[in-house]
Order: sequence, then structure tokens, then C-alpha cells
Amino acid sequence: MAQPEKKAGLLKRTSSSKKPLKEKVLLMYEQIFTKEDPSKSNPRFWDELFLMKVNLEYLEGKLESLDGDEVMKVKDNINSLFQHCVQALAEEHQIRVVNALQTLCALFRGVHQKNRSATGFDIINMLMGFDKAELRMKELMESLDALLCGDGSQSLKSLCLKLLLCLVTVTDNISQNTILEYVMINSIFEAILQILSDVSSRAQHGYDAVVLLALLVNYRKYESVNPYIVKLSIVDDEPTLDGMGMVIHHALTEYNRQYRDKEEENQGGFFSTLTSMVGSMFIADADEKLSVQTNEAILLALYEAVHLNRNFITVLAQSHPEMDMAAAPAVPVPSSPATPLGTTPPSLDLMNNPELPLDPNLQTSNLLITFLKYSSIVMQDTKDEHRLNSARLCLIILTCIAEDQYADAFLHDDNMNFRVNLHRMPMRHRKKAVDKNIPSRPLVCAVLDLMVEFIITHMMKEFPMDLYVRCIQIIHKLICYQKKCRVRMHYTWRELWSALINLLKFLLSNETILLSKHNIFQLALQVVNLFNMFITYGDTFLPTPSSYDELYYEIIRMHQVFDNLYCMVLRVSTNAGPWKEPASKVTHALVNVRAIINHFNPKIESYAAVNHISQLSEDQVLEVVRSNYDTLTLKLQDALDQFERYSEQPREAGFFKELVRSISLNVRKNVSLSTMSQDVLLKEFSSIS
Amino acid sequence: MGDTELELSPAQLEELQKSPSASSTSSTSSLSLPSSPSSGPRPLTSSSPSTSESLPTSSPPLDVISEGVGELSLVIDTEVAKKACQEVLQKVKFLKADGEVSSASSEPVLVNGTAHPESTDGGKPPKISQEEAELVKNVRRRQKNNSSKQSWLLRLFESKLFDISMAISYLYNSKEPGVQAYIGNRLFSFRNEDVDFYLPQLLNMYIHMDEDVGDAIKPYVVYRCRQSINFSLQCAWLLGAYSSDMHISTQRHSRGTKLRKLILSDELKPSSQRIRREVPQPPPSCPPPFHHGQGMSEHSLSPSKRTHQRSKSDATVSISLSSNLKRTASNPKVETSQDEDLSSSSDSLELEAGTPVRLTPQREFIKSLMGIGKRLATLPTKEQKTQRLISELSLLNHKLPARVWLPTAAFDHHVVRVPHTQAVVLNSKDKAPYLIYVEVLECENFETSSVPVRIPETRIRSTRSVENLPDCGITPDQRASSFSTVPNYDNDDEAWSVDDIGELQVELPEIHTNSYDNISQFSVDSITSQESKEPIFIAAGDIRRRLSEQLAHTPTTFRRDPEDPSAVALKEPWQEKVRRIREGSPYGHLPNWRLLSVIVKCGDDLRQELLAYQVLKQLQIIWEQERVPLWIKPYKILVISSDSGMIEPVVNAVSIHQVKKQSQLLLLDYFRQEHGNYNTEEFLTAQRNFVQSCAGYCLICYLLQVKDRHNGNILLDSEGHIIHIDFGFILSSSPRNLGFETSAFKLTSEFVDVMGGLDGDMFNYYKMLMLQGLIAARKHMEKVIQIVEIMQQGSQLPCFHGSSTIRNLKERFHMNLTEEQLQVLVEQMVDGSMRSITTKLYDGFQYLTNGIM
Repeated sequence: MAQPEKKAGLLKRTSSSKKPLKEKVLLMYEQIFTKEDPSKSNPRFWDELFLMKVNLEYLEGKLESLDGDEVMKVKDNINSLFQHCVQALAEEHQIRVVNALQTLCALFRGVHQKNRSATGFDIINMLMGFDKAELRMKELMESLDALLCGDGSQSLKSLCLKLLLCLVTVTDNISQNTILEYVMINSIFEAILQILSDVSSRAQHGYDAVVLLALLVNYRKYESVNPYIVKLSIVDDEPTLDGMGMVIHHALTEYNRQYRDKEEENQGGFFSTLTSMVGSMFIADADEKLSVQTNEAILLALYEAVHLNRNFITVLAQSHPEMDMAAAPAVPVPSSPATPLGTTPPSLDLMNNPELPLDPNLQTSNLLITFLKYSSIVMQDTKDEHRLNSARLCLIILTCIAEDQYADAFLHDDNMNFRVNLHRMPMRHRKKAVDKNIPSRPLVCAVLDLMVEFIITHMMKEFPMDLYVRCIQIIHKLICYQKKCRVRMHYTWRELWSALINLLKFLLSNETILLSKHNIFQLALQVVNLFNMFITYGDTFLPTPSSYDELYYEIIRMHQVFDNLYCMVLRVSTNAGPWKEPASKVTHALVNVRAIINHFNPKIESYAAVNHISQLSEDQVLEVVRSNYDTLTLKLQDALDQFERYSEQPREAGFFKELVRSISLNVRKNVSLSTMSQDVLLKEFSSIS
Repeated sequence: MGDTELELSPAQLEELQKSPSASSTSSTSSLSLPSSPSSGPRPLTSSSPSTSESLPTSSPPLDVISEGVGELSLVIDTEVAKKACQEVLQKVKFLKADGEVSSASSEPVLVNGTAHPESTDGGKPPKISQEEAELVKNVRRRQKNNSSKQSWLLRLFESKLFDISMAISYLYNSKEPGVQAYIGNRLFSFRNEDVDFYLPQLLNMYIHMDEDVGDAIKPYVVYRCRQSINFSLQCAWLLGAYSSDMHISTQRHSRGTKLRKLILSDELKPSSQRIRREVPQPPPSCPPPFHHGQGMSEHSLSPSKRTHQRSKSDATVSISLSSNLKRTASNPKVETSQDEDLSSSSDSLELEAGTPVRLTPQREFIKSLMGIGKRLATLPTKEQKTQRLISELSLLNHKLPARVWLPTAAFDHHVVRVPHTQAVVLNSKDKAPYLIYVEVLECENFETSSVPVRIPETRIRSTRSVENLPDCGITPDQRASSFSTVPNYDNDDEAWSVDDIGELQVELPEIHTNSYDNISQFSVDSITSQESKEPIFIAAGDIRRRLSEQLAHTPTTFRRDPEDPSAVALKEPWQEKVRRIREGSPYGHLPNWRLLSVIVKCGDDLRQELLAYQVLKQLQIIWEQERVPLWIKPYKILVISSDSGMIEPVVNAVSIHQVKKQSQLLLLDYFRQEHGNYNTEEFLTAQRNFVQSCAGYCLICYLLQVKDRHNGNILLDSEGHIIHIDFGFILSSSPRNLGFETSAFKLTSEFVDVMGGLDGDMFNYYKMLMLQGLIAARKHMEKVIQIVEIMQQGSQLPCFHGSSTIRNLKERFHMNLTEEQLQVLVEQMVDGSMRSITTKLYDGFQYLTNGIM
């Protein structure tokens, strides 16, 4: 363990540390891990230490290897090291600051890796000592804050953020990270905001800042008052919120671009088609290749912003130029090394550009459009855990958006039309829609399209029940808005109706399998109530009288599904059992649909008989429908246009806990201080110091 | 002539004294550049350089600036100028007191000189230099020669009939410097609005006519510039636009360009302030000291620079309106760390000088609007243009509210928001004119009233974020308590819509302690509770009927057409639009909220439009005065440069092209659809409106020779009036010389049908109106001609092409015809236009080439 060469680690140094001679810094570290106060023998010990290049592996390894007793022995020295690190942060000499930051990171990590079982208080004691902890952390946070907000070097700021990310993710469960209590007291929220509000710093550190913020907001979210939640909820500074939006927008766009590139790669030419065909004979799932690792951290940040901050909703509609197409020149930024996909801070060149670029080929886009596209990719495949979580989070975000008045207003704004190219799962029975044909429409159409797409592509054995419920809720919320505000969208409602009916059909035919795992009656009730919305309130939001006729036509055409559903729920509700209650609700909800079927079917049959036609055309059926409205009576159902508001607590708390845990793991894995090569830093600071 | 002096009203005298009259400017100019040609033999340049030079205050700035920029330096310090002016006046008066001046000296400024004898006491008669005395003599000699003529003139000038129109006319026609100088002074006595109408003429004369006229006009312009930012900017824009036809080399040194520079340099501060501030302005080379009276130091030295940078978003980089410094909100760091800087810069500026830099916000605002237009022009499709426009405007919104306004509006206001989604791109082949709606808050005075605070889109009060945040460094146990004691926010109910209250959970930290989003109001399950109640039955037929009725009852709207996005926007009734936008605006609840609209034109020369506006306005006034019920709608034009400007849109009007394309009806049928059947009150009113407007515009088209009259250039408003727009081809210019449109004006059979056919009473009424209108216009021909004639000076505009523009225009008034002959003429013109196949041909041509119906 003592030899750094043995650990490949994350350090990619080519330095000639293979020499048998120990570096001086290692000797100094060894001095720290003794009982003696190193400054006794050498009064300038601490001064010298921070001039040495940090050896993270050694330090971390050493801390890791300590057992309980040894810890107590060297505690004073570690405390002293921590203290001097904090002091060094305030120094003018930038090399010292860099080394102190890296040392601190090693300290946090080393202490935690070993002491998973130890309580947070033990760790604090070990690092800082109980009596001093509050003071030390205050100093530390103040120094970090000063560094982040100051005019200093960008690399230093980057290191500060990395250190913070490191500190926030040292434990798997963020809420068990007791040190964060001090980060709550000594807020760095303002520093994060400042980074986001400034154009240049946002481009370089925005990603880290946003992820850090998302994580901090999730610290003891449900147990205590988290000041970051409170503060985030009341931010109203537009440049800052915009900045946050830009960072998220950019990360999502980058993901969409990577996905599209892969997709194109897969579809390239005849030969590759052939090979992939051959290949797919041997490899079970060819789709594997298409999966680009999702980025839940940035999605979580988007969720928190949308959920907590009302003002952020305006940012969603803030226009940006579409960044997919602009092939951003790949200039390697020294501070952002090539880390695995998913946590790579996207190249932020375009974000530097304050003006919208003037390329006629660029479509204007906004965060919402990018998010919808992202969602359409993520929802395609919900098989693995990560993607399922991502899809769930996407739907939750959409739920929040659909509930917001302002968001609804711009979703339905007739003057804001966009072409949104949603990704559609390639399926055997349909061709891939040609991108160019998509008309420019209000954004709500894209949301509805996405929902319809989800409904028709996920009727599978591993039925994602909760996603379906969310999906129907989103549609319901949108329709409630339309009804309330009398917005008449020229949307092809028929596609939605037929998707919903097919969903009912699927539920019916897989009743036994599904019932063992899910309450399918809840979903069926939601779907039937959507139809009730259309039937009883259609006059308030349907675009034309004929669309109302088409609704009837669709119900009559598919009457068998409703008949079967009625039989099924009647059967279940008459039997005693756990589903009696929910099933009987569905029977009641079906009353109007059944009235329509029972009213028009005989009329249509007699029309056919009178006119001697075996198969009526659509127009003929519509004619019958139109002439027979007046004799049909419907029952007005209550509360169709009311819905339960989204609430994170308590229903979603578990989901978010797990999500944050997985994000923490991922961030911890990918945050690497050592990648900031010493050479770069030296070069940068040689001129300064 | 001595008694004419007594006829001067005290008010006039006061005006004349107050004004920095011609003498003031020349005194300083001669001082800085005694040998420059500009200080030639003008009647009143005769101030003594020696006395002026002895003024201690004036010398430092002049030392620095005297780099041949005589014009620039001379107005730099009005205080000095004023003093000098008074001295000159005194001197002149002493001269007069010596009895040298004969009774024939009707020189108005001399008259003026005697007007304040109270200032004679104490002052010794200063020595007058030889040179100067000679000049004065020279002048008098000339005056004597003209005395008899001028005495009549003066009588006219003093009379009540003498209005601004006559003043402009004499200013233009008189070659007499004395007369010009007098009128220059008289300008001060007219109402601002009256002079403003002739501002293009005044400035064009200033640019293109000889120096005497310029010197006569300049004091007035400078005086008004000091008073009003709006006037300053208008002048600067017009000066730029009307100088643009000069050769580039002469343009750079022309007086127009210099005056423009002077205005834009923002040296022309309200003079009252200068007087109040006794400290002479230090030479610009040394940095100004930092006391708070330093409000008008150059903004480059403003300490706010850094703060500014910080609060910038991406958009601010391109559009920085400087009055939004204070809006950094919610980022306490910014506020605290730079608090002092901020207050010392922006606050003191606000208080002292009205705005940090007087003209900058508005100029930036206009510049960014023009920038948008330029960028839009590069995009190929309407759809892309529209999307781009909306996104650009949403960025612009971030900078509002600010101390900016729409110059086309009739009242003082601040722009608070641009409802960006309402903006539309207008139909144009290669340019990208666009129409925006602008929300403004009316105020007392846009220069002094405070700029409204920003209200975020989502209607949350922005003020509370920072102030109510507990300090960052509190201990955990303090935290819990302090959050729960956050006081209830202001009870400003109007800012919250009822619907918002449910969503407030996030805002209120108290709720947050437990679960901040746990409010579930409704449950889907409540559907079952209904079983116990009496069921309510509804008829399906009713639902279907309501649906069709509601769709039928919405006022006739146009279909959304991506190729013609403006049609829908323009068709929507204005009141409806105002209501709708007001509802959606966070500022809508304020009582002084107003909606304005403006067309931004970039790449188009609006100088001809402005000329047409002036002529139309003049004719409208004439017809009103003569009680001829002709109806025309001059719409306001703002010329910003020779290729950009703004137009006040005509509300509730769509083009006849759009009407026909959307409705697929004949005009008469469209009238019946919109206004009801033939004998209804509404139809008859609309028809009368149509006839009155048609007659008005036919006369306009004839007199001004308005060409390019296709249906896209003729609007129809919701009351039945037609309105001609686009005066790109008037007087001597016509499109592409295709020889079309030879008829006097456009009168199609569809128009005649709306009037009730050739035999109808309304058609006769139409012809009678034309005759009356022509007679009335003829009576006041001079007023119309003069507007056009002055603008011809130095102009390269196509409408002045050739040498006979004015003569032809005059001929079209037919001064020599009797009324009977005029009547015949009108008949002939109507007949000719109706029979003219060229009108039809031209419409067909437009349909083929541009798709205009």
C-alpha cells in the first residue's frame, strides 16, 4: 500500500516515481502518521508540506489502513493537518492552495473509506476534533466560498467544486454524511449561484455546480429544514436561473447528440446493416449498442429546479438555438478530462457565446424541447434499472410541468410553435417517421405525442404500471387546463383515443398476470375517466364539432373493448375480494361509455338494415351519430376535472432516496481531483506566483 | 417703426431673453476660432472676443477641445454662452442708447436688446472693438435698404395669424439673415407640438441650407434638446437620416453631422442643472473627483462597471440597458460585496441626472430592436423568422422594465414588457419588418418618474427573496426557529391570482418544515361519493350543440397560415388583444398599464413615409378646418436612419389581400359578413366610412401620385374604412417603370360595388366629397407644397427624381380652374380610374409575381 506505483488509481502521471527513493512528501506523510508532532522537529514542516506535490493515493491509503487504536494515536496530527490545510487555503501562494485542496479531499475520502461503519461524529472527531469542528468547517467553507467567488484562477475554482463534490458524496447515503451539517450552516449556495450567473464561469464549472446543488438539496430532505431547499425555492434572479437552465439544457443536448450519433452509426450503409443482422443472430439484444448511459444527476437538478422554484418554469420556455447540429469544435479543456459517459461535463463552448448564433439552419430550441427529446430517448427502453429510474424521473418532471399554470400557458400558446423531433422506437409494424414532416405546433402537442408514444410502446410483460399511471395523469392534467381555460388544440385526438383503448385491451387480455402484481383497476379507471372528460366536457376544449363526432365513432368502433372491460369489472366487483372496491368504481365510471354504445349500436344496425349495407363507411356512421345525439342522455360525473396534486413526500421519498444514492455513487466514482495534472497547474501558476 | 417694439408681448420678450439666441452661439465660436470662416459677416456675430475671453470659467474646456471642432465646442457650456449672450445684448443696447440706431432698425434682436433696461444699471458701457463696430454698421446698412419691406414683414410676424407654418415658410424662402434670425427666435414662442411637426423640415434646412438658416435654427434645437431626451434622440436620428444623401466626405464635416455628434455625446444636459451647479466642469482630461454632484461624468468612468458586468446575463452582453443595474436580486453576494459601489454610482446617477447616461438606455433599446430585424433578414422562412423573433424578444424582456419608451406613443411611459409570443413577422419579400406589442406603464414624465420594478413572469414578488433570507451562518437549532418566524409576506392580494395560492407551498417555508408539497386538494376518488346524491343528467345533443355554437360565436378569425403569420394577429380585434395580453401579463393589474404596438422596419428607408405622413396629416388638418368629412388615417413614422425606423401600426385593420385570401369573398360580401345585411345600421355606417375614406385616399393618391397600389398595400379596418399604407412610390417615383398604374388613383369595381354601384347615392356622395376635398386642399396648397419642397433640399430620395416634382405637384392642385371645371376634372378622374385596365392589369401582375390577390 505504501508504494504509490502499485495503485494504478486515477492518477495518470508519467512522472518518474518509479525510483526506489521515496519522495520527500511521502516521508513527510509518514511523519504525520506518528504520534509525534512533526512541527517539533521541523518548525517549518507545514509550510514545506504544502509546497510538495500531493500524493493522493498514498495519503488515502494510509488513512484507510489505520485501525481504531492507531487513529486515536495520530488523531492530533490529523487534526493538525486538517487545520493547516484550511489555513493554507487562505494563502496567496496558489500552489499551496491547490495542494491544500487536494490534501483535504484525500482526508475526506480516506477517512470515509475505512470507516464506513463509524458514525459521522467519530469521523468528525478524527478529522477536526469535536471542539474545533465547528470553527474549522466554518473557516473551510468561508475559504471555499471566497475562492469560488473571487477573481482567482479557474482551475482553483474547479478544484474547489471537486472538493465539495467529493465531500458530498463520500457516503452512499447523503443524509448520513454528518459533515454536511456544517455545509448547511455555512452555506455556499450563493457561491454556486454566482458561478451559474456568470457566463464564463458557468461554461467551465456550471455542470459541477448544478450537480453539487442537486445533491445538497437532497441532504436530509425529509427530516429537517434544508436551507438549500429554501434558498433554491426563492431564487428569482433571471440570469442565474437561466444559467442553471443553460447548463441543464446543454448536458441534455449533449446526451441527445451522442445518442443520435450512435443511432446513425448503427444505421450506416448496407454493409453495417448486414453485419448487424448477422451479429444480432448471435447477440441477443442488438439494442445494447444504442444505450448511452443516462445522466440522472442533471435530471435530478432539473427536477429540483422545476419542483422547488416557480420562477424556473419561465426558463423552460427560454429560447436557445438548437445545439445538436452545431458540431462543437472539440477543444480539449484541460480541466475537464475524458471521464466516462454520463458525467462528462459537456463541452460548453456554445454556452460562452452570449449571442444566439446566426445560422439559418439552426432551429430555435428551448430547455423544454430538449427535455422532451431526452425523455423520448430514455423512455424507449425501460428495461434496466437506470433507465427505468430516468424515465420515471422524466415523467415526474412532466407531471410538475403539467401542473404549473404558467408552463401550461406557454405549452398551449398558439404563437409559439415548434417542430419537436421525438425519438420513436423502431418497431416492426411502422416505419420511422421522416423527421422533416413534423409540423410546427404548440408544445403541448409534443407532450401529448410523447405520452401516446409511451402508451403504445410499453405494453409488455414487465408492465411499468407506475409509469403508465403517471403518464395518464399528465394527459389528464393537460386536459384539465384546456377545459378550464377553454383552449382548443388542433391535436389529432384520435391517436390518443385509440392508444388508450388499446391500453385497456392490453389490460384485459393480461388480466391474470397483471393482477398478481398491480392494481389494474386504478389505471383502467383513469383511462375511462379520460374518456368521460372528452364525453362530458368536450364542448369546452375540442377543436371542432366533428372531433366530438369522431370520439363517438371511436368508442362505437371499439365497443367490444368497453363491453369486455365492463364484464370483467362487473365480475370482479360482484366477487368478494381485494379488488371489489376498485373494480366497482370502474363499473360506475363506464356508465356514459356504455350509454353511448347501447344508444348508437342499434341505430347503426337499423341504418344498415334499412339501407341494405353490410359494412358502413366511417362517414355513414358519423352521419348516424350526428342525427341521433338528441335522444341520448348522459350522466354528469363529479370531479372529472380535478386531480391530485403531485407531492414528493411521502409517496416518492423512497424513490428519491435511492436515486440520490445511485447518483452519489456515480459522482464519487467519476470525480477525480488528481486528473488535474500538476503540470497544468504549475504552468498556470508559474506566471502568477 | 418704434411702436412695434411695444407690441411685443412680455411673454415673447421673456422667451427671447431666455433663449440662447443666435448671438450666444456665435460669440463663443468666434472666441474659440477667431479666424475660422464660420464666424463670417453675420449680423450678430459681432460680440467682442475680448470680453468673452475674459470670462474665467470658459477657458479650460475650450483649451482642450479646440481641435477645429468649432461647432462642438461652442455649445459645450451654455452658461458661458448665456453670459456672453447677455453681454452682447447689453452692448447692443448701449449702442442704441447712444442714439446711433435709427428708427428704421427693425432688427428684432435689437428690439429685444432694449427690452431689459433694468440690467443697464451698474454696468459700464464696455468698449467696443473697431472691427465689431464696423460689422454692426454693415448690418445696419443692409437693414436700412430693406427696411420698408421688412416693416411689413415684421407687422405680419407680430400678428396673431403668424403661425408655425408661415414661420417655416419664411425661414425657407427669406434670404435675409435678419429675418431668419428673428424667426429662429420666434420658434421659442410656438407650442412645442406645433414645431415638432415641422422638425424634419427644420433639420433638413439646418443640414442643407446656408449657414444663416442653420444659425437661426440651432439655438432652438439645442434649447429643446436640453429639455427633452426624446427630442434629442429624434433630432439625432433625423439629422443622421437627412445627412445620409450627402457625399461621404462632406457629410463627415457637415454641420448636421456635428450637431448630431453633439447631441449623442450627451453634452446637452438640462441647462437648469448646470446653473445650479456652480462648479465649472473640469477639463475632461483630468479625472473628475468623486463627489455626488458628479452625476454626469462620462459613464466610462462610472464605478458601476464591474457591477454591471456581474449582473449581465448572456443577453445583456449584447443588449445592455443600463438602468437595470439594481436587479441582481437573490444573490446576496452581489448586493453586499458591491453595495457601496452600486449606491454611489447608480443611485446617485438616478437622483442627480435622471438617468445614468441620459440617452443610452433608449438608444440601446432601439439598437437591439434593429439588430433583431437585421438578424431576422438572414433567415429563409417565415417560420424560422417568427421563432427567432420570439426568442430574441424573450431575451430582450430580461432587460425590461427600463427607462425606455416608444417614440410613436402619444403619452409618457416606460416600457415594462414585450409579450414576445405575440410578435409577428410581417409580409415582405427580402426584408424582415416585424410587429411587436409592447406593454407600458403610463407615467408623468419618463425622464423623471422612477422606472417600474420588475415583476417576474410567474407573478411572484421578487423583492422578498434576499431580504427575508435568514443569515447563512446560523446554527441548526436557530435555523428551525428562524424559518418558522419568517413574517408573512406583504398582503398584496392583487398580485396573486386565486389559482396561485395552491401552488404557494414552495414559497412558504413554514409549511416546508413538514412536507412542503403535501397539499392534495382533490381526489379522483371523489367520483364515488356521487352515488349517494341525485344523479344529474345531461343531453349529449346539448354538448354537441354547445360546441358548435361556441365555435360559431367566436368572432371571425383568420386561419393560421405559416406563410402569413401576421394575418391572424392583425385580425384579432384590438380590444380583445389588449384584454388577452393584459390577463397574461404580470403587470396587467396595474391601473396605468397600456398596450402599444409598433412595426420595426430594418433595411427600409422611411423618409418618404415620413414625408407622406406629414402631407397626410396636413391635409387631414385642412379638411377638418374646412369641415369636409373626408377620412384618412396618417400613421406615425419614426425615422431612425436612412434605412431603419418604426411605424405605428393601424389597429383593427388587415390588408384587402388578406381579407380576400382568407375569406374567399368579394369585398361587398365580406362587408355583409362583417357588418350585416344591406339596410342594417352597421352596414350603412361601414359603407359611409368606406366612402369617406375612399374619397380621402383617392385624393391623396392623386395629389401625391401614390403608386404600387396593390391590395396588400390597402388596409380595411373593422369599421369599414380603407387605409392606404406603404408610400414607397410617390411623386416622381413609380415602381420599375413598367408603365402600369397610369390612372389617377385606384378604384376597382369591387370598391364601387361596396359604395352601392355607379348609380347609387353613395357613389355621388363619394364624388362630391372628392370635389370638396380638392377645393379645400387647393385653398391651402402652400402649406402642403412647403412640406414637400423643403424636404427636397439636398435629397436623393426617388420621389424627388427629376426637376419638375414640385411644379407637377402644384399643377395637380389646379389653381386656375373654376369649381365647375374642377367638378368635371373629378368626374374624369373617376371615370378614367374605373375604366382603367391598368389597375386590373397591375393587380394581375402582382398576383402573378407576388401572390397578392
